[in-house]
Amino acid sequence: MAYNKSIPRQGQHTKPFWEGAKQGKLMLPRCTSCNRVHWYPRLICPFCHSTDLEWIEGSGEGRIHTYAVQHRAFGGWSEEVPYVTAFIDLKEGDRMMTVLRGVDATKPEKIKIGAPVKVEFEEANEDTSIPFWRVAEE
Amino acid sequence: MAAMNLSYAAAIVGAAESNVIGYPEELTGEKVTSLQHHIEAIKNVSDMTGIPISDIQGVFSTGWTGELAEHLGLHPRYLDTTSVGGCSFQIHVHHALAAIHAGIIDIALVSHGEAGWSYRGAGGAGGGRGEVSPGGEMTGAYGVFGAPSQYAHAMVRHFHNFGTTAEDFAHISVVTRDWAQLNPRGVMFGKKQSPFGGPITVQDVLEARLIAWPLTLYHCCIVTDHGGAVIVARPEIANSLRTTPVWVAGAGESMGHQNMLEMEDFTATSASRSSATAYKMAGLGPRDMEMAMIYDSFTITAAITAEMLGLAPRGKGYTLWKNGDAAPGGRLPINTNGGGLSFNHSGMYGMQLLVEAYRQLSRTAEDGVNGIEGKQTEATTCVVNGTGGTLSTTGTLVLASDDR
Repeated sequence: MAYNKSIPRQGQHTKPFWEGAKQGKLMLPRCTSCNRVHWYPRLICPFCHSTDLEWIEGSGEGRIHTYAVQHRAFGGWSEEVPYVTAFIDLKEGDRMMTVLRGVDATKPEKIKIGAPVKVEFEEANEDTSIPFWRVAEE
Repeated sequence: MAAMNLSYAAAIVGAAESNVIGYPEELTGEKVTSLQHHIEAIKNVSDMTGIPISDIQGVFSTGWTGELAEHLGLHPRYLDTTSVGGCSFQIHVHHALAAIHAGIIDIALVSHGEAGWSYRGAGGAGGGRGEVSPGGEMTGAYGVFGAPSQYAHAMVRHFHNFGTTAEDFAHISVVTRDWAQLNPRGVMFGKKQSPFGGPITVQDVLEARLIAWPLTLYHCCIVTDHGGAVIVARPEIANSLRTTPVWVAGAGESMGHQNMLEMEDFTATSASRSSATAYKMAGLGPRDMEMAMIYDSFTITAAITAEMLGLAPRGKGYTLWKNGDAAPGGRLPINTNGGGLSFNHSGMYGMQLLVEAYRQLSRTAEDGVNGIEGKQTEATTCVVNGTGGTLSTTGTLVLASDDR
């Protein structure tokens, strides 16, 4: 079935991320000066303001920072309500947003902040694979 | 470098709204445009203060500044289009205070017009929001649509950090609705204004339709029309008018983030910093505040902000509403107009905060518009805090009455 939800328009500065995603890799920007990973991708390190940045392959592991259950949506997402959105603390540092997989959206109290999650990718079109995060066994 | 103290360098000398706010089409059969809301409010504040529109030297608004000034036939010598969400109008007052203190202008107009209801439905559908920014590019795929879908994440984290519950926050909706019962201009004043109007209970809030768990409909602000304008002027002018001045004792602004992705602590906003600046300028603290006007886009916004303003301990903001302090007749009246939750919320609610704070501190809340017994507080100080974006930006004002 064709992917029917919003597909990000790729920016000029994020090509390595989307190229990696197509190959199932979670590429993350890291500053070669302070060695910290930041998210979302910047033109300058938001921590030390160096412009010497590189892309590294992330572990694809993280933990749930917080979440919510969406009951009102538009477009393709409206066919999936309720679904769980979440912010993920990356193992490498900083935070990503996602729609969480492997959880029951009708029982939000069962979802645990701090629970481990792993990344997976869904092909939205030939140029775009979108990372989603799934709750993993501890 | 020591900052010059701007405290009392200017006053809000008048505040007015457009002629029909809330749901104009339902009340009069006609839509109102954003420009019309602006112009009516500006005319009304000019009539109220006796300051001719032609005397306005500085124009402050969100993005419309040039259009507005041209429409009014003005050639201002100070223009400010700061547009960082609902707190922009608090920030405009801060900037006007500085411009007046610096001697650049004597009289500033801060104006707002927003046909949130008349021209509703222009946004929302389709998703893919904010793809022009890298932050938007990396969140646009994930099915968040508008403010409630984002703010819900903050409430869940508040549960986790402080052991709070949706019921705790529901008291904010209930008490704010009680205030709206004193304000006929509020769209939730009664059944005549809206089928959803009239008093509500905690149970009503908890059982309302889910928008983004844990936010039900009644944890969320309404969507309405509004126009409002205030004039800020230097003391010599403020003291010569027929209106009662409300003094800007302190002002501050700050931001935490633009995208929620960058929100470091989901239970805190930059209001801790913007209020620290404002309190310091005023030489006053949270304990000196006799009322508060707090942006309540959602119940969680109001609760967190009360904590950031020092009105309640961390994690305990909701208790001000739950124990009745914030309610009509309470120790610390909060959101006496009925709030963004039940009075009016047009998209950017900061002007509504200013208009109500002016009315309360100038003793004109019983003005025949809000004229119901119990509406007027006796407060001589008020902390006003706007929050913009997704708990992103904040502007704080510490206002003082002329009789203080």
